[in-house]
Amino acid sequence: MSTNVVDRRRVNGPARSVEPVYASTETADPFAEGREDGRALDQVRPIFMKTGPLSAQESELSSSATASAASGSAFYEQGKIRVSCAVYGPRQGRKSNARMGSFDCDFRYAPFSCSWKRRSHVKAADEKEISLMLEHAIAPAIRVEAYPKACIDAFVTVIESDGRAATIAAAINCISAALADAGIEMYDSVAGCSMGLRGSQWVADCTQAEEDVSSCSALLAFMPSADEITYILQHGKSTPEQTDQAVQTCTNLCTRVYAVICRYLQSSLE
Amino acid sequence: MASLTLSPAEQDYITRGIEKGFRGDGRGGLDRREVTLRTNMISQANGSARCRTGYLGIGTDVLVGIKAEVCSWKPGEPEDRGTIVCNVECSPSAAQEFEGRGAEELNVELTQLLDRILNGPQSGIDLTKLCIIPKQDYWVLHVDALVLDVKGSIVDTLMWATRAALLSSKRPKVVVESMKDEDGNVHSEFDVVDDAEDQVALEGAENLPLTVTFNQIGKRYVVDASEQEEAVTQARLTVAVSPQTEICAVQKGGLMRGFPPSLLSEILQTARRIAREEFARFNDIFTAASTADAADEPSTGSTFLGAF
Repeated sequence: MSTNVVDRRRVNGPARSVEPVYASTETADPFAEGREDGRALDQVRPIFMKTGPLSAQESELSSSATASAASGSAFYEQGKIRVSCAVYGPRQGRKSNARMGSFDCDFRYAPFSCSWKRRSHVKAADEKEISLMLEHAIAPAIRVEAYPKACIDAFVTVIESDGRAATIAAAINCISAALADAGIEMYDSVAGCSMGLRGSQWVADCTQAEEDVSSCSALLAFMPSADEITYILQHGKSTPEQTDQAVQTCTNLCTRVYAVICRYLQSSLE
Repeated sequence: MASLTLSPAEQDYITRGIEKGFRGDGRGGLDRREVTLRTNMISQANGSARCRTGYLGIGTDVLVGIKAEVCSWKPGEPEDRGTIVCNVECSPSAAQEFEGRGAEELNVELTQLLDRILNGPQSGIDLTKLCIIPKQDYWVLHVDALVLDVKGSIVDTLMWATRAALLSSKRPKVVVESMKDEDGNVHSEFDVVDDAEDQVALEGAENLPLTVTFNQIGKRYVVDASEQEEAVTQARLTVAVSPQTEICAVQKGGLMRGFPPSLLSEILQTARRIAREEFARFNDIFTAASTADAADEPSTGSTFLGAF
């Protein structure tokens, strides 16, 4: 169509147009309408788990020799988060004269697991730190005195992540299930839970989008039957009352997650 | 943190002592050791501090140097703020097991802990003031810490030294010039004023937190554990508290045990109380250190001998 032919029968709009300016609809609390996925503030995402995906006979993947060598394994899904864990051991420890066994953890993000950037194959500083955190969170639950001269290794791979703290919490739950699958002696299973502070409200199990706007994040690992907090991490500013509240809510949520893990483990035996 | 091997009898002695309220060096459960602080003794750095916790010249010794560098903005980075990059290194001179890659785990743990405390609004430092030109240039503060000696309670000493170093830091002034070209686009350039007299302090550094680390030993907990006490520690909890006694970070360490929830809230309350005293003490020592002339220092064991 030629450009200099003007259609005179219709009202022509201007050649250039701009988007109208709307009055701001932003309210003081951007989350007044609740959460994106319709969850309650203290509701964690639905959990799916399966033990022994790397060593189970019915799985078609079990032909892989390295995977089936694991003493125990677990796959854990919570919303978009997918974590798998393989536990090896108890096997010969590096320190041959140790009175107590050691628990080592190796945490890795898969290169494609994060929404914001591709993960490098080289182990990053944060992966090393999360490995340490997981050791600190899980080790108090293991009866290390029952495994002299031995070590237990857990290898965690994050296949998909959604929320930093929530992914670590998911890793804790996944390791707990894998350790149970491996038959490692434990005082209790550890359940993990994370929260983010939005304004003055704690929001449980934040997704990445929610975590980006929260001013403070808390991660807690708890052994409900032993009534022991095995790990706590807070990042960001809060009042002591808020921290107290976070600890309380997190322990409650951990107890609920723990119930899910226990119920699954029981049903997997039947 | 550094592993000291103690016999079961020694471990039992320390644990029972603490349960009855006695510590090896005569302190109470919530008392701290003597702190020695020197600031600005590294001329090449923008700010520096050396802090030692311990008696008679023996103790945990941490040296922190701050370097400010201009960095150009890359897509994906925050547009209107600078950053703080932390690095903690445990020197092999501190303990034999730090030789080679032996200190790697501890380095990572301390670096990430420091990063978690400093890099964000909880640090109090106004990161937006470290931006020179949005989406173009910003300041990076490199906080490099060197742990020279380890005699218990590294984290608290590290935080003292870092706080003192950042408080004594000055960065060069920058002058930003903006020009409009014929299309109406604004181009900005900046000049770093190369004058030692014309430097600015970091804004908000006085709001930096301090940490209080609790070590659970037996049924009790102690603050500022010595090397021997750390060897029998079952669980460790570090709480970073701002001068306004808000909680800036909490981290648990230690592989042996966890805390019951009731103990945790008690510790958080105690942390605030101790932090209040700590800030008063820090201010006294820091003012004394920054006004002291190197020549008229008293020659007691509580100052640094020789070096610097």
